[in-house]
Amino acid sequence: MQTSSKAKGAMIALAALTAIGVAAWIYQLASGLAVTGMSNINSWGAYIIMFMLFVGLSAGGLIVASSAHVFNIQKFKKVALPAVITSTVCICCAGMFILIDLGGIQRVWRILAGPNPSSVLVWDMTIITIYLIINILDLVWITRGDEHKVEVLSRIALPVAILVHSVTAWIFGLQIARAWYSAIMAPIFVASAMDSGLALLLIALAALERAGVFTTGDELFKSLAGLLATCIAVDAFFIGCELLTMAYPQAGEAVALGHMLTGATAPFFWFEVICGLLVPFCILVFAKNREKRGLVLVASALVVLGVFAKRVWLLLTSFITPNVQGANGISLGTYAAQADAADMWAQVGSYAPTPIEALIVIGVISLGALAFMILSGKLLTPSTPKDEASNTTAENAA
Amino acid sequence: MTRLAMAINRHRCIGCSTCALSCKMSNNVPDGMLWNRVLNEGANTYDGAVGEYPNLSRRYLPLACQHCDNPACQRVCPTGATYTDECGRVEIDYDKCIGCRMCMAACPYNARTFNWAEPVRDTGFNYGEAAVPARRRGVMEKCTLCKERADRGDVPMCVQNCPTDARIYGDLDDPESAVSRAIRENNGYVLLEDKGTRPKVHYFN
Repeated sequence: MQTSSKAKGAMIALAALTAIGVAAWIYQLASGLAVTGMSNINSWGAYIIMFMLFVGLSAGGLIVASSAHVFNIQKFKKVALPAVITSTVCICCAGMFILIDLGGIQRVWRILAGPNPSSVLVWDMTIITIYLIINILDLVWITRGDEHKVEVLSRIALPVAILVHSVTAWIFGLQIARAWYSAIMAPIFVASAMDSGLALLLIALAALERAGVFTTGDELFKSLAGLLATCIAVDAFFIGCELLTMAYPQAGEAVALGHMLTGATAPFFWFEVICGLLVPFCILVFAKNREKRGLVLVASALVVLGVFAKRVWLLLTSFITPNVQGANGISLGTYAAQADAADMWAQVGSYAPTPIEALIVIGVISLGALAFMILSGKLLTPSTPKDEASNTTAENAA
Repeated sequence: MTRLAMAINRHRCIGCSTCALSCKMSNNVPDGMLWNRVLNEGANTYDGAVGEYPNLSRRYLPLACQHCDNPACQRVCPTGATYTDECGRVEIDYDKCIGCRMCMAACPYNARTFNWAEPVRDTGFNYGEAAVPARRRGVMEKCTLCKERADRGDVPMCVQNCPTDARIYGDLDDPESAVSRAIRENNGYVLLEDKGTRPKVHYFN
């Protein structure tokens, strides 16, 4: 296909942002993670937030694509290819974020040389690698039209897509030291993967149609939007269960809940509940609204932002109040702590990303968007009326 | 078997932080962080008191790695950099640490400290025990129970230097050791028992 001048401009801009991100990352490698906003009291930040977000965005795409084949949902098969492209790009971004977060990336081979089987991180890296291979095979076989191989692969891809986000959830959910420790963590992660991934897919499909690369069609768009409404409801239900469990005893996790409801992470929590769950659900629950593409896109964007906000409160809330409290608290180990003993301590965890972190995050996302544009330009073909006709025939046959 | 451990007498602790600084000196701990610190329990300023006049109290809680029998940090470490040695001490192999900070999230006691920046020292040179390896940027570190001193028969520096003899060091597997007896005779307890980490560092009042 011909790349329009608008698309070319976008690609150049994305490439420039990627280059700035790479430069920021090199600076971080040269100086250490002290250039981030992290410290000994709040030891994970923007990179882990984005890691969680992108694993979810990826899993959602592949779940839709492989469900189409596993449950033989003919109409969804049409979007399988763009869904797998989105999924591949997002899982690569997620992998990049976890590597960027490492303090000693030059020693990362140690995971291969002597993996500790009880470490969830080892299993997460394993499942992400398997998942990436499945995505690439899926891309190759769908493009070649190897229907039988795709059918077989989808039966593996669906459970792996669910597992990839479950194992990511267990990085947090199995930590007895923190408020993350909860059996519902994996279901919450899978549910938010479904809604954010599907929402991103809708945005991507609309963009592709706008660019004239791929036509989804209004009917399919509407039915995907309906599925999104269901996924939002499931996500909201799981979060509700967790909140009630935290709140009811008025003990233990009540401290963490307080931070979420009225404390430092409250803006993110309430943004998610209202703008990420309630508003998009109220939009999408009505069939009439689902026909309006603009409204569906607004709802989708809100869902992705809402899930982003959830990653923020989910991660950071657990770092606010240490288990063992008392003055002077925890020695921070940051640049500020090195420079002045008065800035060495914190009793309450806090975190804000630095410009370097922001540039690196923007760089990775730009690289992802660029890869998506290039891959969809190469692999997708605008569907012709003939395709539409054959699709309809297939649907009738099914 | 040997399970090296410590019991801390909080009734004797006067909050002077000599242990924290002895540890820092002996183990070449860089600026901006400590392996061992003394918390002023319940207060929001150091040496602050808790309660309202005349019902005031002040209690100190010296805190470092608890050398757990069920270490949450060791379980989550992807490379096995955190391990339990033959004497029951939880140690870090700095060459294996990839700086993922899983252990930091896993430790309920916030006992670990990370080299976020290039380690710097006010002196401009490495100090303390010569056998202690210098740590580089991007690795985790924490109390080793003064592994290098203990391996040649000395007691940890915090025990050595405590002016009130509040720290008792020894083998938990020897029921007649000073540390075992102190815990047994004084109803010793551990921090955050409900987390199930089974610390070897005990406290008594």
